[in-house]
Amino acid sequence: MSESAELERAYRRLVAYYPRSFRRENEEEILTVLLATGREGQRRPGFGESADLVKGALRMRMGLSRAPRTVLNAVRLMYLGAVAEVGVLVTLVLTEGSIRAAVMHRVPGLTAAQLGSLNSVFIAETVILPFVIALWLWMAWTNGKGNDWARVAATVCCAFCTVGMIVDMADGTARYAPATLLAAAVTWVIGLAAIVLLFLKQSWPYYARQS
Amino acid sequence: MQEASFLILTALAAGSQHGYGIISQVAGISGGRVRLRAGTLYTALDRLRADGLIDVDREEVVDNRLRRYYRLTPEGGQRLAAEAARLQANATAALTRLNPGLGVV
Repeated sequence: MSESAELERAYRRLVAYYPRSFRRENEEEILTVLLATGREGQRRPGFGESADLVKGALRMRMGLSRAPRTVLNAVRLMYLGAVAEVGVLVTLVLTEGSIRAAVMHRVPGLTAAQLGSLNSVFIAETVILPFVIALWLWMAWTNGKGNDWARVAATVCCAFCTVGMIVDMADGTARYAPATLLAAAVTWVIGLAAIVLLFLKQSWPYYARQS
Repeated sequence: MQEASFLILTALAAGSQHGYGIISQVAGISGGRVRLRAGTLYTALDRLRADGLIDVDREEVVDNRLRRYYRLTPEGGQRLAAEAARLQANATAALTRLNPGLGVV
């Protein structure tokens, strides 16, 4: 195979990441540009241009390529929120033993029923957190596409989160589990910032156009 | 308006251009500072088309390769003019403050 044919095939593999509708209209033309910007004797796409193509394809698949900066940043924050929750989940799983030991140490003589409820808290958290992570990702995805209901749904989630924080504080979480409260506060701030961005003046036309 | 969009619209202001033409024009306009990559260019073109600032002018096949020419729409021209005026006003203000003795630079 000649060098240029090899290069063209490699470019086509990268362009294949773009949505079908975009490819149907633009693939041949992008190929023209990619091959025109290639160096003499080049066989493989460079790292920078490959990354740029994949990034463009991802943005387009997420529906973000036409989103204003405010929505783009809100979606980034939501992905950050998902990452933060993954961090919480991993921390919880890794430190379960020491949390258990700390509880036993502080409250000696736990009854079997109390130990059982401690266990169920751990199980509930490890079952619920993946759903919470999925919720963050789903909100990021749907808001990126500019669905108006997604913006409302994200606001409702944030409201629940706020109520949860207040309940936690009233419960005295701050006193006996400051790390939990800190984790909740960090994800809450991320969520709130995303919601604020979604409702800024610049975000409105995007939602109006998509719905 | 982002710089890439501004430079693409500027590249099209003097007449229609195809993809590679836009990349070379943008490099020229920015003094070689901005070298658009294909992914960035087509994301921007897709967006500018959706916003009605540019449109497809015509297509040609050269050496079995498709070339699509883009042109500025009247709305694109207005937006570019408004953005250029805004940048110019900012630049003038900056230069005037840096060189108070010189008046308008």
